[in-house]
Amino acid sequence: MTGMLEADLESTRLTRRDRRAVAPLAYRRRNAELTLIIMAAAITAVAYTLASLGSNAEIPPGIFGFVAFLLGLMLIAHFVVRRFATGADATLLPLAALLHGIGFVMITRLDDELASLQSLWSLLGVSVFCAVLIIIQRATDLARYRWLLFFAGASGLLLPLVPGLGANINGARIWVSLGPINFQPGEFAKIALAIFFAAFFAENRELIAAKTWKIGPFRLPEPRFVLPVLVAWGFAIVVMVGQRDLGSSLLFFTLFVVMVWVATERLGWLLLGVVLFAGAAYLSWSQFAHVQTRVDIWIDPWSDSLGRGYQIVQSLFGLADGGITGTGLGRGNPNQVPEAQNDFIFAAIGEEMGMIGGTAILMSYLLIVGAGFRTALRTDRTFEKLLAVGLTTIIGVQAFIIIGGVIKLVPLTGITLPFVSYGGSSLVSNYILLALLIRVSDSAARRLGEVPDEPTPGERWAAWQLRRQIRHDGKQGTGRQGGS
Amino acid sequence: MNRQIRQLAVGLMMCYVVLFATLNYWQVAQEQELNANVENTRAVRREFNKPRGDIVSADGVIAATSTPIPDPNAEFDRIREYPTGDLLSNVTGYFTLNFGSTQVERAYGDVLTGNTTEQQLRALGNILASDVDNSGSVELAVRHDLQQVAKFALGGRTGSVVVQDIETGAVRAMYSNPTYDPNTFVTLPFDEAREAIVDLQNAPGDPLLAGAYQQRFMPGSTFKVITTGIGIEAGVIDRTTQFVRESEWVPPQTTNPIQNYRGSTCGGDLPEVFRRSCNIPFAQTAISLGPDRMVAGVDAWGIGEELPIDLPGAAASTFGDTADLAQQLPLLGIRGFGQNDDQMVPLHMSMVAGTVANGGQMMTPYVVEATYDHDGRTLDRTQPEVWKTPISAPTAALLTEFMTGVTEGDRGTARSVQLADGQRFAAKTGTAELGLVGDPDRVHAWMIGFAPLEAPKYSIAVVLTDLTSTQADAATGGREAGPVVKTVLDYLLTGDGANADLSGG
Repeated sequence: MTGMLEADLESTRLTRRDRRAVAPLAYRRRNAELTLIIMAAAITAVAYTLASLGSNAEIPPGIFGFVAFLLGLMLIAHFVVRRFATGADATLLPLAALLHGIGFVMITRLDDELASLQSLWSLLGVSVFCAVLIIIQRATDLARYRWLLFFAGASGLLLPLVPGLGANINGARIWVSLGPINFQPGEFAKIALAIFFAAFFAENRELIAAKTWKIGPFRLPEPRFVLPVLVAWGFAIVVMVGQRDLGSSLLFFTLFVVMVWVATERLGWLLLGVVLFAGAAYLSWSQFAHVQTRVDIWIDPWSDSLGRGYQIVQSLFGLADGGITGTGLGRGNPNQVPEAQNDFIFAAIGEEMGMIGGTAILMSYLLIVGAGFRTALRTDRTFEKLLAVGLTTIIGVQAFIIIGGVIKLVPLTGITLPFVSYGGSSLVSNYILLALLIRVSDSAARRLGEVPDEPTPGERWAAWQLRRQIRHDGKQGTGRQGGS
Repeated sequence: MNRQIRQLAVGLMMCYVVLFATLNYWQVAQEQELNANVENTRAVRREFNKPRGDIVSADGVIAATSTPIPDPNAEFDRIREYPTGDLLSNVTGYFTLNFGSTQVERAYGDVLTGNTTEQQLRALGNILASDVDNSGSVELAVRHDLQQVAKFALGGRTGSVVVQDIETGAVRAMYSNPTYDPNTFVTLPFDEAREAIVDLQNAPGDPLLAGAYQQRFMPGSTFKVITTGIGIEAGVIDRTTQFVRESEWVPPQTTNPIQNYRGSTCGGDLPEVFRRSCNIPFAQTAISLGPDRMVAGVDAWGIGEELPIDLPGAAASTFGDTADLAQQLPLLGIRGFGQNDDQMVPLHMSMVAGTVANGGQMMTPYVVEATYDHDGRTLDRTQPEVWKTPISAPTAALLTEFMTGVTEGDRGTARSVQLADGQRFAAKTGTAELGLVGDPDRVHAWMIGFAPLEAPKYSIAVVLTDLTSTQADAATGGREAGPVVKTVLDYLLTGDGANADLSGG
């Protein structure tokens, strides 16, 4: 037993050349990723130049610094992926880089002062991305911390409600102020809860699906498996009522319902979720003026086009002004839409880059969603499957909710557009999410044998300790059995 | 689970397809409707940030200009300023972000921003140059100095002064009270600007409307020039026609008599009734002509048509409702001397005087002399055009003779108005009794004319609309409007304005 362990460990200690030889597919993927990142950087650089030409008729003086900074960040991210997640999907990082780059250009064009802050957030986001990939080398490790993550996520969600900590900004109580630092814990909580749901359902999915509890004609799962479901539903309500954050509430609930449905393979859960949410939505609509306002301006923003409907009406004017090809970067008036750099950044893109640019953004999200679900299909571990589904759902649904709100398809709810909107919390949390998705993708590739499954440093260290223990034991001659 | 994941993927994809369809709806299907929405200021905003050229008066004074804002973080790159304040605002109009533009700013917006096809073509050569300023400029026919004189002559009274070149129809002065200063609101933020504009819209006398060409007033006896012209053209009257001296005359279809001004006795041959401005002879002329010839006649003078000036929103003069005039001959008679439903635009009355002086040809009025591209090359120079020819040259000569009688003849209503240095001029006065309920003594005092008599150069129309007088008589118009006419014509013919250099601009 111990001999085999040692032999295993020795045989998996590969040089870079070995790795390249045994995993040609994975390295082709990495090269594709590198090419795509360079293309994304080129698009961003061109957009940056055009935006400056459009507004000042001059080549931006800091163009090389700008391109070097963004490309540098993305190359670092790429090399971390190459080293620590060799088998991962090739499109996820370049797509994020493209969205991030276009968002950066729009933010710079909208508000110079925000741009320097956004570059700080970019640095932070990519650093955290690398850190997550380096620290979490086994996706399944996350499942072990599910309850910790659950409580962290739950308290993160509730943190803004704590007096003295929470802050109301733009009518939503989703901010936490700690001295000079403001952040939205909800952005991180959604990831923590996605991990928790994935772990919880991977463990209990059969039990929840079994429905062994009979009440009259209804067959329900055991209460102890239903309880967390109700708790999650309660969270969505708390978020909606206490923080006036309809978008996040909708996002949490969708995430939860989707995961329960995929885990149990029972459509009933999906329907139950829809009914529960519809009920909650109706109740809050009938009870809260701000919800009614949102619905009213969704149905008819024109009736109060200078007041409550101003933002959405201006957004639509901008889109129409852009038309198919857009006004050209730097040549529109996206600043006429309040919060254009934030929730309404899609309106700014639609105005200046037109329907073509807007469609490119939609396609980027769709491709990320596709890559995410492909990852979920490729992996054979239930936890990883559910985690990939959850993370992908967060990105896909969040982008849908806010884009839909901006173009008056659904009632407007204030959430950020992943990777594109201005904001530190949003950018950092989305990079964490991306890192986890890439980690799962790599994990799937390892089990499919596309990459040699080397032990992580943590595992090496554990094995080294074990070996030392065995040697020590052997010397002592007490013969304690190690491992199994 | 894989089945659910695939279903989920398809579901999310459908969501994005719906997003794509909605994007199509707004950016393609609804594009034009949204862009046409009055609340959509994006097109104006884009224009607003473009370099915009100057509007310059005929004597080279800048009436509208764009000044760059040095602050790079300002919301706009430049602001529009009107250095002449309220003096030329009726001509230049204003250019605002949220409330549109008017007059030259509106009609010549394309030239000022360099958007005409010709300017675009000329700019093709330097499309890649960093200098994107392609703005054009507009040179007015209107003289700044003359505007000042007109404003001074009006002395704050409500009314209008119009001066035109007889030969070309070029408007040399066009000033009205009340007016406004565009600088007071063009730079204000949205809410304050809206408040200022709404206040102006609700102010008495409609200061935002140019009184001289966008409003019309009852013309009173000045209309007799038109009636006389029509009568002579139709052969109904001539110089020798004698009118009975009487104070009352009962027209057909009624028992109510028509009176001369305030019941005076008046009559004699045509030159006498014209210069004394009797009413009954012109009522009789109009009724002799009958509705058909009278209506055809006023049509020939351009009454009922929007004035063809090169500015938006020009008013049309009117002869009132002409549908049942055959059954309303007394009304036809009253309208023959400029009362009842007659309404004339002041500019139109200047054109009427100009027509008499110009041998019967009514010229198209214009305020813009020429337009220039960014490099000062001429884009377009206004060519004088004949709009109408309502009377023949002999009729025009007769009318000139009659109008000279008004200023020089025995008991002429403008006998009291004499120009400096013995300059001779021809004129017609008018005192329109509005007969307003609650304001029965309100009159419009008019004087139209042209000078110098020997070689007519300028036509003029002056109207004062805020007079209230219980002692008004046929000479009131001349007494009140006459000094204004004198001030302007003296300045033009013998004063500082006689040798004005108009080659600048």
